[in-house]
Amino acid sequence: MNQVPTEELRTEIKNLIMETLGITGIRPEDIDNGKPLFSGENVLTLDSVDALEIIMAIQRKYNLRIADQNLARQVIGSINSIADFLVSEQEKKL
Amino acid sequence: MIIGNYHHKMAAHCESGSITSLLNHAGMKITEPMVFGISSGIFFAYFHKMKSFAFPTFIVRNKPGQMRKNLEKRTGVKFYSKDFKTPEAGQTALDLLISKGVPTAVQVDMFYLDYVPSWERVHINVHFLVVIGKEGDVYKVSDSYFPNPVDLPVSSMNKARFAQGSMSPKGFIFYPEFVPRSFDYEKAIRRGIKKACFYMLNLPIPFLGIKGIRMFAKKINDWPSLARDTEHLSHEVMKINILLEDQGTGGAGFRFMYATFLQQASEIIGNPGLKDMARELMEIGDGWRELSLFAARIGKNRDLGPEKFRQLSTLLYGRADKEEEFFKRLSKTIK
Repeated sequence: MNQVPTEELRTEIKNLIMETLGITGIRPEDIDNGKPLFSGENVLTLDSVDALEIIMAIQRKYNLRIADQNLARQVIGSINSIADFLVSEQEKKL
Repeated sequence: MIIGNYHHKMAAHCESGSITSLLNHAGMKITEPMVFGISSGIFFAYFHKMKSFAFPTFIVRNKPGQMRKNLEKRTGVKFYSKDFKTPEAGQTALDLLISKGVPTAVQVDMFYLDYVPSWERVHINVHFLVVIGKEGDVYKVSDSYFPNPVDLPVSSMNKARFAQGSMSPKGFIFYPEFVPRSFDYEKAIRRGIKKACFYMLNLPIPFLGIKGIRMFAKKINDWPSLARDTEHLSHEVMKINILLEDQGTGGAGFRFMYATFLQQASEIIGNPGLKDMARELMEIGDGWRELSLFAARIGKNRDLGPEKFRQLSTLLYGRADKEEEFFKRLSKTIK
């Protein structure tokens, strides 16, 4: 991966997650980019159903498919891992 | 000791992943989707009332062990396999193989795997992993669901290999004892696809294949009357998502992995029609994923009125129709 994810992309991802899950009362900047999204360490506490909702929202918005759930699990680990994945997918399309 | 040149790799599914990894180690160049496709791994069966299950359930792949048997028939590979009566005998055999440098797949109950985070540990008696070494009282393990090799104490491994209950592992081990230098890929692919089409379309049993998806679609409306209470019903409905997405299926109940197999097969045997079929199956898989999410959502929200079950039923009938059409055309594509 040569390109580095931008802060705009990270914010876009955070907004997508909050819109998808109907989360209010949290600002994008409250969500830590590096902390896991599913372990209770971040401001968001998500579960496996949320994970599937997020995967499908990412697939729809960025027109890609995350078929393998092991990959999916790694991708949606944190905001940074989602951003890295999207950048690498964009590079593949170039 | 650790078996030095063993290459750990993540995989979509534990059994096909372990088989692929062992075959690759033994020198056979084959991918996980190819192992799954050649061995006709794709399937569907719905069990409404069976003694072994407390509540109706379904499977989306052929039964454990069938992949190895089909692979043997179609590629010439021979697997050594054995189960054991006691943990002592099981451990002695495993340790001997490791000391000889033979990476060995073992069947385990996932609950006893210390390296699995506690919130993910459930009793699943048919998880497969590959033992690739031993240092003191600790096994070195290649578990295809994890990014790197992991450690497992001998005591935990013995508990995991000799857990009780339905489909108990009985210390089961397997490894390839013969791998041919080459095999007829085209023939193996054709046989694998034909058999999968037969399993999905022609088995004369009402709960297997496409008929099984339709039975599921019909019987799911009875689920509320079979559950003890809302909590139980919610748990069972959410299990639809787990069985389709979470238990190492490669996504959408193995449909994505089978699509990848068709894509690879298209190139190997020079049949562009298979590539179109792969694309179509990916779309069918998306439908399964939508269904899975719908089930997870209504289960999580305890939104379990009759209308929701009718919607689930409609979604299932939709998958049955699509898959029937798909496998009929796949069968013609491969002729």
